Amino acid sequence: MQYELRSMFEGISTEGDGETRVTVKCRKETVITMLSFLKKTGFDHLALISCVDRINNNELELVYILSSYGGDAAMQKLNILVKTRIPRENPQFYTATEIFRNASPYERELHELFGIFFRGHPGLTPLFLEREYDIPPFRKDFDTRKYVKDVFDQIPFVDDKKGRT
Amino acid sequence: MRELELYFGPQHLGMVGNFSITLQVEGDRIVKATANPGFLHRGFEKLMEQRTWIQNFPLVCRINVVEPDHMELMYAMAVEKLAGIEVPERAQFIRSIYLELARVGSHLFGLWAYANMLGFDTVANWAMYHRDLILDLFEELTGGRVYHIYLWPGGVRRDFPEGFEDRIRSTLHTIGSCVPDYDDTFFHNRLFYERAHEVGKLSLEEACRMGAVGQVLRATGMKKDIRKTEPYAAYDQVDWEIPVRTDGDAYSRIWVVRDEMIESVHMIFKLLDKLPKGEAYQRIPNPFKWKIPENEVYVRCESSRGELGLYLVSEGGDKPCRAHFRTPSYSHGLTILEKALENESIADVGNIMISLYITAPEIDR
Repeated sequence: MQYELRSMFEGISTEGDGETRVTVKCRKETVITMLSFLKKTGFDHLALISCVDRINNNELELVYILSSYGGDAAMQKLNILVKTRIPRENPQFYTATEIFRNASPYERELHELFGIFFRGHPGLTPLFLEREYDIPPFRKDFDTRKYVKDVFDQIPFVDDKKGRT
Repeated sequence: MRELELYFGPQHLGMVGNFSITLQVEGDRIVKATANPGFLHRGFEKLMEQRTWIQNFPLVCRINVVEPDHMELMYAMAVEKLAGIEVPERAQFIRSIYLELARVGSHLFGLWAYANMLGFDTVANWAMYHRDLILDLFEELTGGRVYHIYLWPGGVRRDFPEGFEDRIRSTLHTIGSCVPDYDDTFFHNRLFYERAHEVGKLSLEEACRMGAVGQVLRATGMKKDIRKTEPYAAYDQVDWEIPVRTDGDAYSRIWVVRDEMIESVHMIFKLLDKLPKGEAYQRIPNPFKWKIPENEVYVRCESSRGELGLYLVSEGGDKPCRAHFRTPSYSHGLTILEKALENESIADVGNIMISLYITAPEIDR
């Protein structure tokens, strides 16, 4: 599996035990081709799209986790993690909704929590949040404690309002 | 006919949990459905980045209220893999027994919700009562009824108390002796068939395309279960079957749930018979100073709703760098629900939603 992928795609590196987990690191241009190739090979279940904020390298790491529905026993055991890195400033990526139907909510989630814009997504509307944030809240430089203090300290207590301090 | 927009939930009586669906209706036919999650978003994954490895246990179990145990398992398994901790054999068996009890409890809760929605109040109350018997077992074992925090990196928090195995057996016999009553009043009832048959139908091809897992997938005829494909705990030590149905409608889904409960009970008996002696936990380093080497891991298990996964990243510190839960309700509630509701009647919204086993806290996290 790993040899096959390395011979087909340029500039990728693979690691893993080959039995249960295989990690494929590739350039951001290769990801969508890679996903549709893997889907045709039988890895047709998109388990998760996740993102890690690598703030020290000034990059966001996208992770697509695939597994197989109908493959043989060895294939069903295997999870493939396709990883790529994109810059942290004005992050843009391509949508995977045309390959996997259930990619849509994951991309909406990453859009609002990490600020990644997925080009070609049919409706990139907010999923969970109802307020606008300057920094997308799941990034490492968003300080939850400071935000809570800033927002909720401005709301006066009931007792203060009535002048019964 | 004129099209109307209806808001179903979160205050609607037919809604289970803090979830809402916007329905475009024409008469009482649904033209288009849009799921609106977010009423329960607490940002747990962000909070986990600010707490030490052990402090996260009270957080992860609150991600799914109905069955917190599989969340604990996922987090414990991920930490074990990152830190390279081996789990003793007895602890593996105790984990399996505990998780199967949790599965039966969760399915009984699901049966309560479903029967209640269809108006079978008697069956709903039975299911709730029987779930309570299982919660009594959990209370004796862990001290908590709903949230247990029992699984731990390296095993379980404490061994079974004296005579606990017999009490599990007698409780399960009490519940099992009522299966004929459940069958007569509910599962073989014509009313249940008429309400659920051909409702919210999914074909196998559609289910795979939209990322179905768990009993939603098994009700469409695919024999897939993580406990078989990638065994964890002690699931490879005993024989058991995966219950499957082929119709893919609400009726088959509830039948798969029933068969799964019975299979789980049989599995607990087999596990109890083979329960080995020995240690129930492995010592872990001092939790206050525990640093885990830089690595990342994806672990998965079969919760009562389907494939549950955790992507956990460590950067060598005393806290996780990133945790992301892959929850089964996510695809079921946001992708499949919208498709399954199309061209159905408004009266069947709750029917379809509960048969898909959607829990809102799992989606929002």
